[in-house]
Amino acid sequence: MTRNAVLQADEQAPLEGVIKGEVLRMYQEVAEHPEGEFHFYHGRQAAEMFGYEREWLDRAPPAAVASFAGVGNPHLRSRLQQGETVLDLGSGAGLDSIVAAWQVGPAGRVIGVDLNPTMCLKAQANATASGVHLDCQEGRMEDIPLPDASADVVISNGVINLSFRKRRVIREVFRVLKPGGRISITDIVSAKQLSQSIVNDAKLWAS
Amino acid sequence: MFALLEDAGFKRIRSTVVPGFAFRKDSTRDAAEEYGVKAVLFTARKPGA
Repeated sequence: MTRNAVLQADEQAPLEGVIKGEVLRMYQEVAEHPEGEFHFYHGRQAAEMFGYEREWLDRAPPAAVASFAGVGNPHLRSRLQQGETVLDLGSGAGLDSIVAAWQVGPAGRVIGVDLNPTMCLKAQANATASGVHLDCQEGRMEDIPLPDASADVVISNGVINLSFRKRRVIREVFRVLKPGGRISITDIVSAKQLSQSIVNDAKLWAS
Repeated sequence: MFALLEDAGFKRIRSTVVPGFAFRKDSTRDAAEEYGVKAVLFTARKPGA
């Protein structure tokens, strides 16, 4: 790493902390007050927009559906099979984990990872109410709390873009996948480099 | 993201733009359009097995 890169990383460390706080606040707000207005569409309206099956949304606990804050539908291409182990990176209120658990069945396993321990508790409660088990672990996507080669599939929905260290996140995803494992990830990308004023705006970054 | 997946060692990387994705608020939507912000579904496979 060059001296300039070290300086830039040092300068970004406080901003990264602010953004982490804003991300935690924003998504907890969606979970606790899903009736609120946000920069993004959320809840059933968003899930229907992205092609989630109506049967899933009727069957899942209303709290999990109302707090859905994804940007697409990773299940469209996940091709989950009975008995597989799935990691839901940034599992939030748990809708994607629950849908995955229905697909992998009782012989399979779904592990959620979320930065916010309160969200993990909510996701686990929503999963239990859906008749499935979710093992949700508090953790950072830059340092996934799973051993090497432990998942058949990694799904994620609108989360990796929130990280300041996307390269590290992707390397972590690669590490925890079994050989031959696969990803189905929906996320936000931009064609142009974002301006520094946007990068420095924790609220915009979190949205 | 595509390059990050490739650099990490993923193979068979595919990407599809998520139809219908939009920000809700006009101000965010305008900024997103300016920067070519899109939602994308990525699939890829780790070699082996």
